Amino acid sequence: MSTEEKSAAPRSLAEALRVRDDVSLAALLRSRPDLITPVPTDLTQLATRAGTRASVVRALERLDRFALQTAEALAVAPDPASYGELLALMGGDEQDPAVAAALPRAAALLREQALVWGADDRLRLVRTARELLAPSPQHPSPTGLGPTVREATAGMSPGRIQEILAAVRLPSTHDSVSAVSALAALFADRRRMAALLAGLPEESREVLDRLVWGPPYGQVTHDPAAHLRALLDRGLLLPTAPGTVVLPREVALHLRAGRAHRAPEPVPPPVEAAATHRPQVVDATAAGQALAALATVEELLKEWDEGGPSVLRAGGLSVRDLKRTAVALDVPEPVAAFWVELAYGAGLIASDGEAEERYAATPAYDEWRELPPAERWARLAGTWLTATRTPGVVGGRDAKERTLSALGPNLDRSAAPEVRHRVLALLAGLPEGASPVEESVLARLRWERPLRGPQQREAGSGDGRGDDLRSRIARWTLSEAELLGVTGRGALAAPGRALIGAPEAPRPAAEGEMEEPEGPGDKLPVHHHRALTATAPPTVAERAAATTTAARLLAPLFPEPLDHVLLQADLTAVAPGPLERGLADVLGMLADVESKGGATVYRFTPGSVRRALDAGRSAADLHAFLARHSRTPVPQPLTYLIDDVARRHGRLRVGAASAYVRCDDDATLDEILADKRAAALGLRRLAPTVLAAQADPAALLDGLRAIGFAPAAESAAGDVLIARADSHRTPPRAAPEPVPDGPPAPDDTLLAAAIRAVRAGDLASTAPRKPGPGSGASDGGGGEAGAPGGALPRTSAAETLATMQAAVLTGEALWIGYVNAEGAASQRVIAPIRVEGGFVTAYDHTADEVRTYPLHRVTGVAELADDAG
Amino acid sequence: MNGPLIVQSDKTLLLEVDHEQAADCRRAIAPFAELERAPEHIHTYRVTPLGLWNARAAGHDAEQVVDALVEYSRYPVPHALLVDIAETMDRYGRLTLSKHPAHGLVLTTTDRPVLEEVLKSKRIAPLVGARTDADTVAVHPSERGQIKQTLLKLGWPAEDLAGYVDGEAHPIELAEDGWTLRPYQKQAVENFWHGGSGVVVLPCGAGKTLVGAGAMAQAKSTTLILVTNTVSARQWKHELVKRTSLTEDEIGEYSGTRKEIRPVTIATYQVLTTRRKGVYPHLELFDSRDWGLIVYDEVHLLPAPVFKFTADLQARRRLGLTATLVREDGRESDVFSLIGPKRFDAPWKEIEAQGYIAPADCVEVRVNLTDAERLAYATAEAEEKYRFCATTDTKRKVTEAIVRRFAGQQILVIGQYIDQLDELGEHLGAPVIKGETSNAQREKLFESFRQGEISVLVVSKVANFSIDLPEATVAIQVSGTFGSRQEEAQRLGRVLRPKADGHQAHFYSVVARDTLDQDFAAHRQRFLAEQGYAYRIMDADEVLG
Repeated sequence: MSTEEKSAAPRSLAEALRVRDDVSLAALLRSRPDLITPVPTDLTQLATRAGTRASVVRALERLDRFALQTAEALAVAPDPASYGELLALMGGDEQDPAVAAALPRAAALLREQALVWGADDRLRLVRTARELLAPSPQHPSPTGLGPTVREATAGMSPGRIQEILAAVRLPSTHDSVSAVSALAALFADRRRMAALLAGLPEESREVLDRLVWGPPYGQVTHDPAAHLRALLDRGLLLPTAPGTVVLPREVALHLRAGRAHRAPEPVPPPVEAAATHRPQVVDATAAGQALAALATVEELLKEWDEGGPSVLRAGGLSVRDLKRTAVALDVPEPVAAFWVELAYGAGLIASDGEAEERYAATPAYDEWRELPPAERWARLAGTWLTATRTPGVVGGRDAKERTLSALGPNLDRSAAPEVRHRVLALLAGLPEGASPVEESVLARLRWERPLRGPQQREAGSGDGRGDDLRSRIARWTLSEAELLGVTGRGALAAPGRALIGAPEAPRPAAEGEMEEPEGPGDKLPVHHHRALTATAPPTVAERAAATTTAARLLAPLFPEPLDHVLLQADLTAVAPGPLERGLADVLGMLADVESKGGATVYRFTPGSVRRALDAGRSAADLHAFLARHSRTPVPQPLTYLIDDVARRHGRLRVGAASAYVRCDDDATLDEILADKRAAALGLRRLAPTVLAAQADPAALLDGLRAIGFAPAAESAAGDVLIARADSHRTPPRAAPEPVPDGPPAPDDTLLAAAIRAVRAGDLASTAPRKPGPGSGASDGGGGEAGAPGGALPRTSAAETLATMQAAVLTGEALWIGYVNAEGAASQRVIAPIRVEGGFVTAYDHTADEVRTYPLHRVTGVAELADDAG
Repeated sequence: MNGPLIVQSDKTLLLEVDHEQAADCRRAIAPFAELERAPEHIHTYRVTPLGLWNARAAGHDAEQVVDALVEYSRYPVPHALLVDIAETMDRYGRLTLSKHPAHGLVLTTTDRPVLEEVLKSKRIAPLVGARTDADTVAVHPSERGQIKQTLLKLGWPAEDLAGYVDGEAHPIELAEDGWTLRPYQKQAVENFWHGGSGVVVLPCGAGKTLVGAGAMAQAKSTTLILVTNTVSARQWKHELVKRTSLTEDEIGEYSGTRKEIRPVTIATYQVLTTRRKGVYPHLELFDSRDWGLIVYDEVHLLPAPVFKFTADLQARRRLGLTATLVREDGRESDVFSLIGPKRFDAPWKEIEAQGYIAPADCVEVRVNLTDAERLAYATAEAEEKYRFCATTDTKRKVTEAIVRRFAGQQILVIGQYIDQLDELGEHLGAPVIKGETSNAQREKLFESFRQGEISVLVVSKVANFSIDLPEATVAIQVSGTFGSRQEEAQRLGRVLRPKADGHQAHFYSVVARDTLDQDFAAHRQRFLAEQGYAYRIMDADEVLG
């Protein structure tokens, strides 16, 4: 690659991309990952893909408000426009300093995203973006500007144009093109224009004022009034269709003092602090809430332990079951939906997949339950942060008017993880202990990711502010964070801060300041806007580290579990804090929970004591247990209660038998019992004349006959079956995967590989333009490439095989030339997995899948390691 | 973070009583939290909307409440709860009842949507008159109580600034010769007078009558006193003559037998609720004089028609007195909304600790049914079951044994079933007071019991309330009105008057084991157990042996 090429102004986006360095390409691909799925063959293809409508819409939707405004301004600017022209459009004639300061960043961002290319004197918006953003009668621009004079006069008769020229006292010319140019030049000239407008009647100027901020279209009758006629005569209003006139862009810009936007928003609105609490209070409150969250999830699972509610046919939980769960948890229904979804998202509950499908705890729940509390919390919080399922929409209706049920389908909102992360990051930006003003958080989010199109104006003007999905998710995030204990009293707590990987100590500086970009240019500093959009989500490893840190920070905030309770004579026990699990389990069995929170109040009732006895405890056990765990003497009424219940417990005995033997003669039964052959029948004497058998009636009959008796069968009544209630578990189930919108964000390795591949492909496809063979010798791979009409690498078969085998070991990607069965040659970037039997199996980066190639069709191979870039 | 208070998510507050800050904390939360249970280690308070609004009415704001919770809480207070408290308290005072010079009683608002909301309610519509301006609506003066009650139910309590009528003045002074009001009685009177109207809760035997007298001495106006029965009316009269400047002639009795209306009139609930031809002829009593104060004794027994009428008396000062504001019909909140909020409440054990009521030893004696009785019990009709087990023969033997053990002390035997009581009376050689006993006979028997001429008295439920028998030291309960908690408390109250010699009181409840009797007993004891009275359980054999 020669330096001449770099200095020459690029003629297309592809050329502009070609001169960018790897870091800047990586930045592009990171922010627009759809461009490398699959990896394009070369930069031309990359540029084409970057110009497709779908990709451009996606990119525009991810711009912050000021960058979008900048793009919108470029769409109404001449193509190409110089930076100065852009600045004038954004900052207006009076040159807003804030705009001037922020504009380089916005321009650089647009350039990095390959939405704008070209040097500062020739900034070009990619064509698709221009089409999307430029005003047209069908799609009014957010700028409120109309068509240019040239566009508006396109179908006008030359005679009419002459009349306008005459009316504004311009020298007449018969060339329509130069006439229109002269008119446009007049409108753009502030001084002459001011004079022209000054000559108009007051009413005419009022008409212009009405149209100036858009929409620029107006209706006129066949016989317009004098003040309208004055405007039409001077071309200040131009007809577009019968009865419709438009204010030309140049005129509007003059009236707006050059500004494309009524209110450019160069600075993100700051997140305001509503109140500041001591960090200790915040952490303690959050920890308390975190403990409550764990208790709630465990309570939910306990509630469903012996088989939860059934699964609706369409999937999900019925409204009635949700209500019931809400009552059981003593929370409002939306909150119940949150807990249920949280447990589901963490893989703690799932459908059991049986014929009568029900929800039940998964085996993972039992593992989770054994973790220390802080880690249990970190699991939940980590799940919550990255989940795309949004419990907030439960109870609403989908596009087909079907009610969205908790645990049901269609709850995934791909924006959720990013919004959650962003909201927490904004909280992290506040001083420690400060809780935000909700509205300011929403405003900030709207600035960072404004809605495009007509919704923008609705959301921006009406009272319905913040009803868009992202704002709703943000609001849910704030309330859910509080429920989970990520925040305490509205402020981000230390574990929550760690969870999103934010630095432990927040910057004391005010929120919202941005680093100055180093100036526009194709060579961009990559990281300068990372802090602003923060689109790069943490990797799996980073997230794991973050949750571990969060758990570590949270653990000391949890109160130590207690090993004692206070027993009182009114048959209650108070645990003045969280209990050790073993103690809590036994106490939960022996007494009913009456009140929960920091402490737990238990009440002993005959029923609860019986439950403990049923579970195999003896009265002596219970007395010892209470004596061991009570700080005070066990009250006498409680001792009595246990003894009383125990005295009556088990006086009636119930057992299971499969069959019985009845005989009026005791001696016969003695005989049967004495017979060794009857041992297999599992007989037991219940009364002098009755034996119970474990064998079923048929086996019993056979057995007795074999011994030599002649028994007769009785009717089947009397067969007792007792089903023991059992914990119900699903088979192993994986937690639902988040459903992100679009491809996953590529990590650095993939990015590097992709760039190498694209460069390689690009190099390959551009090589023929270079004069002479061997020009690419220094590129390391295509050394022998010299065949006319193609840049396929050429290596000997032995060398190919050796390189392939080496690559299998090192896992490196290779660039190969390949001729298919039809004889068509192509270049591919592959990562060989194995070489055997004359075939190479490899991951084809170009095709984005694993393929197998016959080695004899591989023309040659080159390593990608040192690419010339 | 090592305070004495634990704030639970269900809005109960657990106070560790042995904590060094417990007393401070109790004072801080008392204005807005209701004491629910007071057993030995941890007392339970509950935060209710009513309590929060009462606190607002008494001049406390949400910040003070939140501060009190945060200050004394051992664990962080759930944020949602704090928000809820602030929001609940914020609802109070959006509506105000006041006197308008031109329109009379009016309901005004500081928040117009609230007024619109409540006016939409069907229950409010008949109570209000014309809208005088956007924020004001006229209220029929007679519906003052009704509208307050309804607004409370709608969750928008009105602040009542319309004030009280002074009533007809009548000089009343306390005659504190050789005695004075106890500190808690003074406090109760002061709280009541400051609040205007309300309920004072004091344990049995703690001198509620004197709180009534103290309130009258503050009001210095004609007073109507409503009591449960005639004997109680006489006791009130006796006590008032003794403790105040009032003379016999100034106090009238309005009962089944006498219909006197005097500056201070004592009427029974029974006569007020007598119905003839569908009307209550005696309710006129409320209007017969310009009463400045109305005292409701044993307010937990307030009958429904009196509720209704009380609603119309909102312009007069009202004082409710009770030991046990637990109603098995759950109408406690009606008492609070119509008579007024709780102005004073003292845990029984606290008064006991100050020595104003006798310490009591509560014992539950469990007797076994004989085999024959068990069979009879098992086969009895559902409605007869309790009677069967409650009147088992063994109870008689146990009762006799207890009476023998305390021979020489003043003993009350209390029961529900007349047959059982008659039989007991016969075996113990003691007189029986029951419903059919005439008032004269009752008073005579009570008097000779007080004088020590009789040492054992068998009484039916007629003696549940307001019977002042200071010398009784032992009460034996053989049966009761099913699971009534307040009856149990009232019966214990019969023996709680402080003894001249500082004697301990004994309360025996004889219960048949493994029967309904035992279940009811457990329920009956709940109130006292929650007040910190720990029942001891004994087997009948221990008593008999």
